[in-house]
Amino acid sequence: MPTAIRRAAILGGVRIPFCRSNTLYADLSNLEMMTTVLEGLVDRFGLAGVHVDEVTGGAVVTHSKDWNLAREAVIGSRLATSTPGITMMQACGTSLQAALGIAAKIGTGEIESGIAIGSDTTSDAPIVVGKRLSGRLIAAQQAKTTGQRLAAFKGFSPGELVPQPPSVAEPRTGLSMGQHCELMAQHWRVSREAQDELALASHAKAAEAYRSGFMDDLIVPCAGVWRDNNLRPDMSLDRIASLKPAFERSEKGTLTAANSTPLTDGAAGVLIASEEWARARGLVPQAYLLHGQTSANDFVAGEGLLMAPTLAVSRLIDRAGLTLQDFDYYEIHEAFAAQVLATLAAWEDADYCRTRLGKAAPLGAIDRSRLNVMGSSLAYGHPFAATGARIVGLLSKLLATGGRRGLISVCTAGGMGVAAILESARA
Amino acid sequence: MAADVTSLRDWRFSIDDQGIAWAVFDREGESQNALGRRPLEELLVIVEHVEAAASDKAVRGLVFLSGKPGGFIVGADVREFEQFSSEAEVIAAIRPVLAMLDRIEALPVPVVAAIHGFCLGGGLELALACHWRIATRDDATRLGFPEVRLGIFPGFGGTWRSIRQAGPVAAMQAMLSGSMLRATAARAAGLVDELVPSQHNLAWAARKAIARGRRSKPAPLLKSMLRQFPIRPILVSRMRAETAKKARSDHYPAPYRLIDLFERTGGNLTTMKVEETPAFAPLMVSETSRNLRRVFRLSEALKAQAPKDLGFTVRRVHVIGAGVMGADIAGWCAAQGYEVSLQDLSGEAIDKGIAAQEKLFSRRFRTRALKAAAKARLIADPRGEMTSRADVVIEAVVERLDVKQALFRDLEAKLAPHAILATNTSSIMIEEIAPALADPGRLIGIHFFNPVAQMPLVEVIRGAGSREAEVRKGCAFVTAIDKFPLIVKSAPGFLVNRVLAPYMMRAMERVEAGEAPEKLDEAARAFGMPMGPIELADTVGLDICLNVGRILGYDAEGSRLAKLVASRKFGKKSGEGFYTWKDGKPVKAVRPYGSSELATLGKALVEPLIAEAERALADGIVETADLADAGIIFGTGFAPFRGGPLHYRAAQGGAAPRKASE
Repeated sequence: MPTAIRRAAILGGVRIPFCRSNTLYADLSNLEMMTTVLEGLVDRFGLAGVHVDEVTGGAVVTHSKDWNLAREAVIGSRLATSTPGITMMQACGTSLQAALGIAAKIGTGEIESGIAIGSDTTSDAPIVVGKRLSGRLIAAQQAKTTGQRLAAFKGFSPGELVPQPPSVAEPRTGLSMGQHCELMAQHWRVSREAQDELALASHAKAAEAYRSGFMDDLIVPCAGVWRDNNLRPDMSLDRIASLKPAFERSEKGTLTAANSTPLTDGAAGVLIASEEWARARGLVPQAYLLHGQTSANDFVAGEGLLMAPTLAVSRLIDRAGLTLQDFDYYEIHEAFAAQVLATLAAWEDADYCRTRLGKAAPLGAIDRSRLNVMGSSLAYGHPFAATGARIVGLLSKLLATGGRRGLISVCTAGGMGVAAILESARA
Repeated sequence: MAADVTSLRDWRFSIDDQGIAWAVFDREGESQNALGRRPLEELLVIVEHVEAAASDKAVRGLVFLSGKPGGFIVGADVREFEQFSSEAEVIAAIRPVLAMLDRIEALPVPVVAAIHGFCLGGGLELALACHWRIATRDDATRLGFPEVRLGIFPGFGGTWRSIRQAGPVAAMQAMLSGSMLRATAARAAGLVDELVPSQHNLAWAARKAIARGRRSKPAPLLKSMLRQFPIRPILVSRMRAETAKKARSDHYPAPYRLIDLFERTGGNLTTMKVEETPAFAPLMVSETSRNLRRVFRLSEALKAQAPKDLGFTVRRVHVIGAGVMGADIAGWCAAQGYEVSLQDLSGEAIDKGIAAQEKLFSRRFRTRALKAAAKARLIADPRGEMTSRADVVIEAVVERLDVKQALFRDLEAKLAPHAILATNTSSIMIEEIAPALADPGRLIGIHFFNPVAQMPLVEVIRGAGSREAEVRKGCAFVTAIDKFPLIVKSAPGFLVNRVLAPYMMRAMERVEAGEAPEKLDEAARAFGMPMGPIELADTVGLDICLNVGRILGYDAEGSRLAKLVASRKFGKKSGEGFYTWKDGKPVKAVRPYGSSELATLGKALVEPLIAEAERALADGIVETADLADAGIIFGTGFAPFRGGPLHYRAAQGGAAPRKASE
């Protein structure tokens, strides 16, 4: 039995630049991107030939051949081959969930070090054949005679050749995530203007993060790419205000290509360890990953699909004995501008906080100047499984130089939310 | 010599539980594997051991692997080529190697070559003697026959074995061009039998190939028929025509001798096998091959000016000045994979300069994604915001001392402490600019030639006060962008322009004296220059020639050159100079000239260049005669097969090159 819970130290994060799907990473696979991130961590933290207790993470959109993705990435990297790789997935929460698992295991003493990692590409998405054709192919493969082989294709129609692309729609509702988020925007009366302004601010802050050199040690170039290609430093409000709604095409629609994240390719990872392990390797903790919380809501029955982070954060701060205002940084993943604004509105709404969060008083407003100070997914892009590690790495770096405490909130498909609290390692 | 397989120094040999013999080539004390004398002797020990073990059924297969992370085998050991002084010696040295490769091929158990990284020349010939060749798809894997670049052709049985496996078209093309094939292309050609995704797969794929007794099949009948009458003569004449476009037979005989060999013996590979060595040996001891090997060593010497242990890595390059030179330098660096920012007072100039790089990127990158990524690496930076994050800052602004001084003063305050601070100027002395800096020792010159993408040499200028560490960092940067650095003393014209100027000026004087430009250019080409002096002047731009001449103290007052420039006839760029230019080519009157006449004239034409190279060495512009030769070959294209101007002078029995006097 563990004697005491230890603090898990975040030593730093690294990611490759994120690119809109089917652009600069069109020729790359998840395995290549994930391996590049591991190599970036190896270079930054001197991990060549070093055993890490686990590399945990995965990808949301994967090929069946990538069933052992995390371990394969480890083998392709310079980490010691004794490093286990655990492939897991929780939609857009994947690498944040991986980080929480690693931190918990470090806390109990099960492991000393771990890398939380995530990768996604919709450029190299698996295209599968329909059930009828795959049945025929398997029968043909198992057949022993030519006759049997031919029989497998009896009654074949060319229509069976139409491949099934991967779907990003919710299986239970048949609605895309954007359509769900549009419903949330309508419910919480989030205006188009407010969404556009948030998107614009995200791009401006991210552009400044690059310009100032803040991003330099967070990024490892990949396939000759040095910067996120979704980022538009010269974006103007006029320009994005002119875009047509993307999901609800009537005049009621508010979500557009600019205030929603595009399909993105990319990968990110973060090195987490016990303080002893860090010290032994001469590495300095940036921050501690102290609390985590995962929640889910009943979106099938009509709750907002991406509102579960409101639950997760509420429980998280209760457990940590904090209020929503006790943070220097808020990293609320911008899947859609409307998701962030609906979440903030819900925390300020007395009725919602009472009925859904069981609070006598609303959680209240946050200081908006502390929200996503270096920009977030609207600017950088959102390769689903990579986003959590991107945020942990970025917030950890922020806390290494200023501020005491940061809150992370990530919404995921299936009505789930993952939240975490980081505290600066500076004395 | 090692007596048995347990005491090898360049190979690691083992036999595993399954009876598979593993021969891992890992040459002692070297970063790369080259098939030198000892590795070959030890390989023979391995072959003899496997022969015996195979007949005892103790070994069921042999696998060749490399112990070097970067490559399989880079070829025979070029350093050992110099020991041969006669054809007989060459033949005597080759015979045992050929016999050993035959023994490998004749082994009763499967022999597999497992290839990752470079597999070149003799390395590929060893692989071709194996029964099955596996290569990784990795981008680092390259197979090829670079021999022609050294004035020879494959001599370890590579001619007939490659034709046997790949057919005459692909094999001869590979040998004649010296180009390196990616694994997929090598497989398509038939030089490789199986591809695997990564280095990890190699040993396992080799094991499987042995278990299944894989044997590569020779090229299919259809390809083999191309070797026979009546197709062979057609192929041969096409090969000769293609080769003639790239190299003259009088200067570069090797590819032509290879075509002759194929013409004579291509119909019967057994004959070709016998004839390869007698055709190969004279090339090996020829003056041309000696000189080309010398050029290879000189290129290594240039690279060696950049120490490997500097701890200086290039990530970001900042170029100031978006004129042709500045923009092309920026474009080249971006194409090499670095993040590059381009600064200029005029946003329009930046846009134009960046747009001009489109051509380079299109030529260099095969996929849309790679090309787009290169474009994204080249960033317009009108306010110089990237300066503070750059590892290298290069100035290429207008040639005015006050402008440069102000610029460098401003830059110095912003620069990262480790960053290189360099000027591309050729007309203002570093010693004049440097005093504007708080730390004058920091400033160096990095002098590119136009057109940047085509010129392999970059001069790194050591100002009187430049710190040695900064000069060496400059060399490291130049090698990082895949160019050859040459350290030169700060003096007008540095090395390359200084030796070119008298060569071109004297040639222009000859035109004035009534000689035909066509004849002069043809004579220079007959000597081995890539382009004649008059055509070169027109190509460089007569205004630039006049200006460089002025800096170097040539009085062009009243000359044809000055008159042409005064009437705005600048050469190629304006459509008229010494020649009239049509579609980017000079219009020349074709007249037949006698070859001995051209030879005499050619020697006379390069004489001023050689004399100036001697003076430059005496003045200490470069440190050694070899570096002078290297710089002049790579900076001017001076006939590589002649080994450089000073080497040529010495070989002609002229004054021996002097050491720098200081």
